[in-house]
Parts: sequence; C-alpha cells; structure tokens
Amino acid sequence: MMEPSAGLSPSLVEDALRDLRDRTLAKLDGDLARLVYLASTRDYNTGRYAHDGLSFRFSESVAETVLAAAHREAFAGVALSPLRVLVSHLEHYIRSGWAHPDELVGAWNSSEAYRILPPAADDPLTVRLFISNVKIALAIVEAAWQEPQALQDPRSASQLPSPGR
Amino acid sequence: MSGTLILLAIGLLLIGLLGLLLRRSDFASSPDASPLVSDAAAPSAYQAFEERRGELLDRIFGPDDWEFVLNHAPKRVQRLFLQERKEIAFYWLSQIRSLAKIAIRIHIAHARKSDELRPVLELRLAIDYFMIRIKCAIVAAILWLGGPVALRRMIKQVGGLSDELRGMLELASKGDALPGETRVPR
Repeated sequence: MMEPSAGLSPSLVEDALRDLRDRTLAKLDGDLARLVYLASTRDYNTGRYAHDGLSFRFSESVAETVLAAAHREAFAGVALSPLRVLVSHLEHYIRSGWAHPDELVGAWNSSEAYRILPPAADDPLTVRLFISNVKIALAIVEAAWQEPQALQDPRSASQLPSPGR
Repeated sequence: MSGTLILLAIGLLLIGLLGLLLRRSDFASSPDASPLVSDAAAPSAYQAFEERRGELLDRIFGPDDWEFVLNHAPKRVQRLFLQERKEIAFYWLSQIRSLAKIAIRIHIAHARKSDELRPVLELRLAIDYFMIRIKCAIVAAILWLGGPVALRRMIKQVGGLSDELRGMLELASKGDALPGETRVPR
C-alpha cells in the first residue's frame, strides 16, 4: 500500500497506480523487466520520475508519485526474493528480450549496469543485498551457459526451478 | 609463570584481532563504501530497513540461498557467494555500530546541556551501548573465523542485535533526548 504525497488526492493516486499497473506494467514480462522499466523512468540527473502517458492522463506530480512508489515496491519484491527466484527471473529476462543473451550478461558484468536499478534513498543494506544477489545470479547463469556438460548434470543450473515453485 | 604469560599473550592477540575487525567494518561503513544513499536520506532508509528487517536478515543469514548455491552452482560461484554474504554481514554490523555510536553521541551532547540528569537512564544506556558493541565484536569474530555459514544457526541472536539497537534508540530518544528526525519510527 502506498502513501500519497501531500496535496495529492489519494483516490487520484490510486487510479494512476492502477492505470500504470494495467496499461504498462502488466505488459512487461517478469518482475525484473518491470524493475528495469521503472528505474528507466527516472531521470538520473535529477532523480525525478516522468511518464508522458500518466502525466497526460493525470498530472506530472501524480505520475512522479506513482512511479516512485511502484519502483520502491518492485525493487523490494526483487531484492528480497530468494536467490533461486532471482536466478529464474534473470534467466527469463535475458532469454525473452535479447537476441544475443551473452552480450547482455557481458555488459551487465563489465559495467555493473544493475547498480542503477535500486530507488534512491532505499535502505542501503537492501541495496547491497540486491546488487550482491544480481552479481551471484549472473555468475550462476553464466556458469550454466559456459559449461555445456552441466546440462547432463542433474544438479546443474539448467535444472533451476521456476519462480513459482 | 610461563602459562600466565601465554594466556596474557593470547588475550592481547584476541583484543588486537577484535580491534582489527572493528576497524575493518568501520571502513566498510565509510561514505566511499556506501555511495548509493546520502546522509540526508538516512532516516527514510532506516524506516525502509525497519519495515522489512526480519525478511532482510532472514535472507542474508538464512540457509535457503546457500543451499541453492551449494546445489546449483560451481565452486567458483560458491566462493563468490560466501565472500559477498560476508561483506554484507560486516556492513550490517557496521551499520548497527554506527547507529549506536551516533545515538549515544547525540544523547551525551544533549545530556551535557540538560539540567536534569537521570542516572538510571544514563547507566542503562551505557550498558546497552557496551552490550551492543560487545555482541557486534562477537558476531564479527564468528563471521571472520567461520564465514557467513557459521551464523546460520544464530539468526535469532543476530536479529536480536537489531532489536537491542532499536531498544537503545528508543531509550535514548526518551524525554526529548534526541532530535525528532533521529527518533525511531513507530
């Protein structure tokens, strides 16, 4: 449950949040994809969130409030999920959206682009856990790809459980 | 006589080791080591931590993630996992220590200006503060010697450290001892 900012009508904010979930976030495949999307709606120079559609239908301040709240919520969900779930989300994210998954893994490993995914002013311990878990999940996914013989091994990462399990 | 000297040497060695651990984890809490959240954001970050404290500590120190890595990842990733969790645990310990230190410093500064000193409250705060420091040092020693896996059976005690810090902050904030923004959110 989110707390609306001062001066904004709670019902308007709830409507905008529903709109964001139904029209935009529902179309994205997986929690990690939603987190990446929400982080990308933030201007990295100012830290402010912006969304043309939401601003048009509601207002800039409502859009900003709703995006910030949705970002915090999505981040907490991914950061606190068990590592096996994060690995599954990451595998799914990489395989579903990229023609060359190894490029994405390479880029994420070298530039550590996932460091910009947490919302500003979140708990630093949660942020550290998230960054650390993504780093480990990348290593697990990469190891599973680099070792084809692991596919024969019943204990290999290719047998990773689905998030729902 | 030589037995006493050996015991003294061991005692000094342990004190030195604890000092080293405290310095290491104080370094981990330096601004350079935590560039993601500014000091101005600290109260809301603390609130975010409080809201998900149990879940977070369970995720960091619980057995689930380690068992998954043990069963699904090569040795190289297992080593990476243990190293990462160790760093996170040291960081968490340094957070606890820093918050306790800040609270006690603010309280002392306020108490110096106060006309009404309450000796019982001061004593309780001092005891709480030193207990937190000692427990942090013990957890750090276990972490340093046995790694994060050694803390798996101590989740309750480790989580208790957080509760003790909260208790201390509440005690310190009693009677307007602390400025509003550093009070523990209820």
